[in-house]
Amino acid sequence: MKQDDRQTDENILFVGIDLGTSRSSISASNSTREWTESYVGWPKDFIAMQVVGKPVLFGAEALANRLSLDLCRPLEHGVIKEGISRNEEAVKDIIKHLIELAKPAEGQKIHAVVGVPADTLKVNKLAIRRAVSEAVDSLMVVTEPFAVAYGLNLLNNSLVIDIGAGTTDFCIMHGTIPTEDDQKTILTAGDYVDDQLFSYLVEKYPSARFNKNMVRQFKEQYSFVKDMAEDIQVEIPVNGKLVPHDIKNEIKRACESIMPALTETTIEMIARFDPEFQIKIKNHIVLAGGGSLIRGIREYLQDALKEYGQCNVTCVEDPLFAGSDGALKLAKDMPAKYWEPL
Amino acid sequence: MLLTYNKKRNHRIRQNILRGVYEDNLKIIGKGPEVIYKHRYYVPKRFLLPVVLSFLVIVLQSNFASAPFLPEKQPVSGPRSMPVLALNADESEGPSHYKAFISTPGMPISRIFGLGVRTIMIDPGHGGNDTGTKGQNGTKEKDIALDIAKRLRDRLKKSGNFNILMTRDQDVTVPLNRRVEMAKLSRADLFISVHLNYLPSRPINMIETYYFGPSSDPKVLKLAEKENADSSYSISDFKDIIGKIGETMKLQESKEFAASIQKKLFMNSRKENGNVYNFGVKRAPFVVLLGVDVPAVLAEVSCLSNSEEEVQLNTEQHREHIARYLELGILDYLNKGDVTYEARRQTDR
Ligand SMILES: Nc1ncnc2c1ncn2[C@@H]1O[C@H](COP(=O)(O)OP(=O)(O)OP(=O)(O)O)[C@@H](O)[C@H]1O
Ligand SMILES: [Mg+2]
Ligand SMILES: [Zn+2]
Repeated sequence: MKQDDRQTDENILFVGIDLGTSRSSISASNSTREWTESYVGWPKDFIAMQVVGKPVLFGAEALANRLSLDLCRPLEHGVIKEGISRNEEAVKDIIKHLIELAKPAEGQKIHAVVGVPADTLKVNKLAIRRAVSEAVDSLMVVTEPFAVAYGLNLLNNSLVIDIGAGTTDFCIMHGTIPTEDDQKTILTAGDYVDDQLFSYLVEKYPSARFNKNMVRQFKEQYSFVKDMAEDIQVEIPVNGKLVPHDIKNEIKRACESIMPALTETTIEMIARFDPEFQIKIKNHIVLAGGGSLIRGIREYLQDALKEYGQCNVTCVEDPLFAGSDGALKLAKDMPAKYWEPL
Repeated sequence: MLLTYNKKRNHRIRQNILRGVYEDNLKIIGKGPEVIYKHRYYVPKRFLLPVVLSFLVIVLQSNFASAPFLPEKQPVSGPRSMPVLALNADESEGPSHYKAFISTPGMPISRIFGLGVRTIMIDPGHGGNDTGTKGQNGTKEKDIALDIAKRLRDRLKKSGNFNILMTRDQDVTVPLNRRVEMAKLSRADLFISVHLNYLPSRPINMIETYYFGPSSDPKVLKLAEKENADSSYSISDFKDIIGKIGETMKLQESKEFAASIQKKLFMNSRKENGNVYNFGVKRAPFVVLLGVDVPAVLAEVSCLSNSEEEVQLNTEQHREHIARYLELGILDYLNKGDVTYEARRQTDR
């Protein structure tokens, strides 16, 4: 990129936004980085409005006040759903909120690159643009795994696997902007692990009281695949008393439940290319998204792929911001002339 | 040396990718890059191709209006299809093979779907670069299909009982395999694809409904080949899956669903226009129907080669009517096996 091609205007704030099913984050050219859970809640009525004290709540705060709110997780299932008109509004509110968190200076224009799950973009590009464009001055929308790849400078010969909450997205990079054929989405991801873990625990400890939120926290704290020396014990209320429970085996089973589909799809994605290119991709497989924090997942995948020849799997350093950082890099690299019509 | 070479190469790739992002977004908002580039850049060759092609289409269509370039389908042209046509068109309350479908005690839908049908996915055929078929006055299948689909959506939504999804709600290109994936991802319970027919050989108006299945009719196969053209499934995948499909429950249900749609569409359309022909329910290996795991049909709701019908299709009223008949077809299918509905329908008469 020639330097003079870039936007240098100080009156412009570049932002990269990762609009996820479960979490959304923003990285801005003024060095702020923030995130929120992708929940939006609006007070149900006047009284609720008095209780919560604001017209719209986000993330954890929205969840905490859920009884007073109409709660919305707009990108759940990857589709801006027809007939649930508030989804588009919710996306708008999340974007506005994130941009406020990035603290643009007075009068600064905002040029945003927004990464969204590949399937959302596929289904409803214009709706996404419509929802986002109000809050920004110029906008480009890309798929989330592509933003991750760009941010890591994996422009060629690589496969990015973004293990999120609702979906796991695969994206092959071969030196051009990936087409739909280079990307694939499967539904086994974080939420699926939560569901599995929940059912294993309910089965093993019928008298203990679990809820989905607790179970997700157990997972995020202890997740692992393959083997691990340490014991995993958690305290769970039984008849009103906190009792320690061993959940190691259930954690392992639940986390490993996503591995077959992950492995199979990885092989399928790679197998479509000619052998020479296959070898290159196999040596640049990168795991991103919250699911890449599962301990041992990198080794597990690398082992599973071994029988297909030498390969190398790595994890991104900062999965929570890899998407928004990549989107920000795109925004900063984008020549000024490209922003004009958008 | 190597380092600078790599750097240069990387730089070129990066620029290429940035331009790709830009062009993609232009496309989303409906601006073609050729417009933007006109003054400052040369027009890349790959943008010229579609332009040339569409020019050809226009020229050919105006010269040979009755034999359009890339006609979408011609499954029932020629004398061999005449007997079928005559047989079906003569039956006023629906042809005999419908009766067979309808009178087989339908499996209660609620049992198949647990809580019943909640999400219906409507698939307006073609879109974007893919115009579908085209009438002599330039009416495009993609536009009419989309409009009818939207009306159907609004009608079903009003009933309040369903969650309605569309594979596209704008004039955009959506490959068939994406449509299939969408249906899967969104966990739709029913899938209906809306198309318009074109019969180059005869200027009649006709209605037919397809469900997925093997077919030995070469014309149907040819039609399927065309409709499947952009699916990105390989032929071998395809044969494999067809082989496995068998008489599954999905197949049974799709057949029932197709019968309901065809019945309501044809019976009601005929009240408006006595000249519409009933081509019945057929099986065809359409990718868009195959990949969807739930009951799925493809309805050819009208016919653009009939110029009278083309004029009608340009009126809002006619499109709204067709949407209503499709709605009736869907409700008819959903209510099959529901005893109270049957009873109510009997007493309604
Ligand atoms: N340490 C951890 N171990 C396992 N899973 C984790 C861990 N930390 C977070 N997760 C899971 O990662 C998921 C969230 O990841 P991420 O923020 O990448 O998703 P997202 O981008 O919102 O979702 P999507 O990509 O599907 O839109 C959640 O399911 C969360 O429980
Ligand atoms: Mg994500
Ligand atoms: Zn068609």
